[in-house]
Amino acid sequence: MKKISLAQIKTNHKAKVIEILGGQNLQDRLMNMGVHKGRELLKLSHIGLRGPVVIKSGRSILALGHGVAAKIIVEAV
Amino acid sequence: MIKKIYLIGNPNVGKSVVFSRLTGVQVISSNYPGTTVEISKGYLQTGREKIEVVDLPGTYSLEPTSSAEEVAVSLLKEYAKDEIVVINILDSTNLERNLLLTLQLIEGGFPVIACLNMCDEAGHKGVHIDISKLEEFLHIPVIPTCAITGSGIKLLIERIKEAVPVSRGVLTHEERWKEIGRIIEQAQRLEHRHHSLREILEDVSVRPVSGLIMAAGVIYAAFKFVRFIGEGIITKLTDPLFFNFFQPLLEKLTSHWQENGFWFHLLIGDLINGKIDFKQSLGLLTTAPYIEFGMVLPYVISFYFVLSLLEDIGYLPRLAILLDNLLHRLGLHGYAIIPVLLGLGCNVPGILATRVLESKRERFIASTLISIGVPCVPLQAMIFGLLGTFGGFYVAGVYLVLFSLILILGMILNRSLSGYSPEFLLEIPPYRFPPLNILAKKLFFRIKGFLIEAVPVVLAGVLVINILLYFRLFDFVTGIFAPLVTGLFGLPKEAVAALAIGFLRKDVAAGMLTPLGLSVKQLFIAVTLLAVSFPCIATFIVLWKELGVWDVLKATLIMIAVSIIMGGALNLIILR
Repeated sequence: MKKISLAQIKTNHKAKVIEILGGQNLQDRLMNMGVHKGRELLKLSHIGLRGPVVIKSGRSILALGHGVAAKIIVEAV
Repeated sequence: MIKKIYLIGNPNVGKSVVFSRLTGVQVISSNYPGTTVEISKGYLQTGREKIEVVDLPGTYSLEPTSSAEEVAVSLLKEYAKDEIVVINILDSTNLERNLLLTLQLIEGGFPVIACLNMCDEAGHKGVHIDISKLEEFLHIPVIPTCAITGSGIKLLIERIKEAVPVSRGVLTHEERWKEIGRIIEQAQRLEHRHHSLREILEDVSVRPVSGLIMAAGVIYAAFKFVRFIGEGIITKLTDPLFFNFFQPLLEKLTSHWQENGFWFHLLIGDLINGKIDFKQSLGLLTTAPYIEFGMVLPYVISFYFVLSLLEDIGYLPRLAILLDNLLHRLGLHGYAIIPVLLGLGCNVPGILATRVLESKRERFIASTLISIGVPCVPLQAMIFGLLGTFGGFYVAGVYLVLFSLILILGMILNRSLSGYSPEFLLEIPPYRFPPLNILAKKLFFRIKGFLIEAVPVVLAGVLVINILLYFRLFDFVTGIFAPLVTGLFGLPKEAVAALAIGFLRKDVAAGMLTPLGLSVKQLFIAVTLLAVSFPCIATFIVLWKELGVWDVLKATLIMIAVSIIMGGALNLIILR
């Protein structure tokens, strides 16, 4: 399975979180909002080329800055 | 003996609504995370006891990752655990995410009672929660509520004393999510629902193309609506009252007064062609009430109506997503749109709302941009009142100048300040349709706040102006600044007084421009300067409190520099 970042996968595709890069603070913030290793997400939207990414995680809709999305490594499911 | 009750929960679960229900203290609540930036306190009366209730800012976890969360967590530790009760408010439509905090609270040994809020909405969405199973898993009282209508609140109050610490092993984050998964599986049943119109709208508003089209539509409609209601109140209600009722009354009462006496000057001001002119007389009973009630208040009502509607529906976070790219260039991220929009009402809550931004750098940039480029409703109403008579072109021009200023200054600040701005990470609430009575309550609360803050300052302002004018005390200040104002900005030296009064209140200051008989160009420059130059004193105090002395000094220097450059440039560019 190819590992790519959440910024790279296509809109309307599901993906599973493999790894979250970046600092502890970002990992903690995502963890607190329910985005963690093994979690399945649905990418809802991507605004512009380097704009924010909108995902659905469980029943939450989250907006992530492009930089954050690029740090979430996923595999397509 | 319970000394304090804390309300804690994830952002945007309705803590403030529960707080209002428990204490009767009205606080602003909206449908987006981070509405509560100040800690509200109130009292719950149960029988003979009176217990203090504290509404904490929203937090996802007891391990804080932002300053707002830090505040919430540190307050929670102020008292011994047996002296407090923690009411953990959860969003029933999103139980899974909310349970993280609940587990942490229980593990931490706090006496917790869980309040499953928004139960009605969960029902509509096909989410069914087995309350007794949940109580079994958590070993704490769980009460379903709907704070907006008030159902369940009575039961919540009755069961507060049942909250006692429960012993529970401390888990790691991963273990906790696993445990939550297990609880959810057994205590929650999801009914399959087809996509509702609301969900389709939610979707459309965050997709790139459809989202932008929708945003343009919403902003245009909001603007038109504010104008429509504001104008409507003025032409149908306040103007007839002032001109057909109040003016004849005043003229009758003062007909035998000496026109040049001190009291006449103070209360009525100057007569224009032998008559009272509400816009120009500058008296305590003429221009002061006319500015506040006849020009500004109608727009305060219409603006806050539209803003409250957008807030409660939950549109603003979606706008934030669409604007993230643009705001990134100014060193901010999408969510900065919230303080900017609040700042359009009044800069004070706007600057307070910059607390939703994480870093000091972002807060400095946002606060500075708001105090320079975001005109408050009172000033905007005056801009429409003064410049609108010459055509919408000039009004649009002021907005264009201010908007360009925000962009240019933001980019400069972003380049020149050290550090970087954090990324956007935000939960997007579902659309909700607020009951009209809730909306009306919020509107009433905001208008009351406006009146309490504005009226005394306006009266004091007009009083001070009149005393200064009567004793010719302005001449001294005017003399000092005249070269700058006339030479650089092309304004008459009398405009110095108006610009100086801008420090007190922008609407009064704009009102003082009317009797000067300025040309369109001069008026344009003067009102733009009023917007850009020093913020009013209330804003200045908040800036000081929020940013600290050094940053306020820095912001002030920027404001002075921008005013001088912009005023001079406009004077050169505009030819007529």
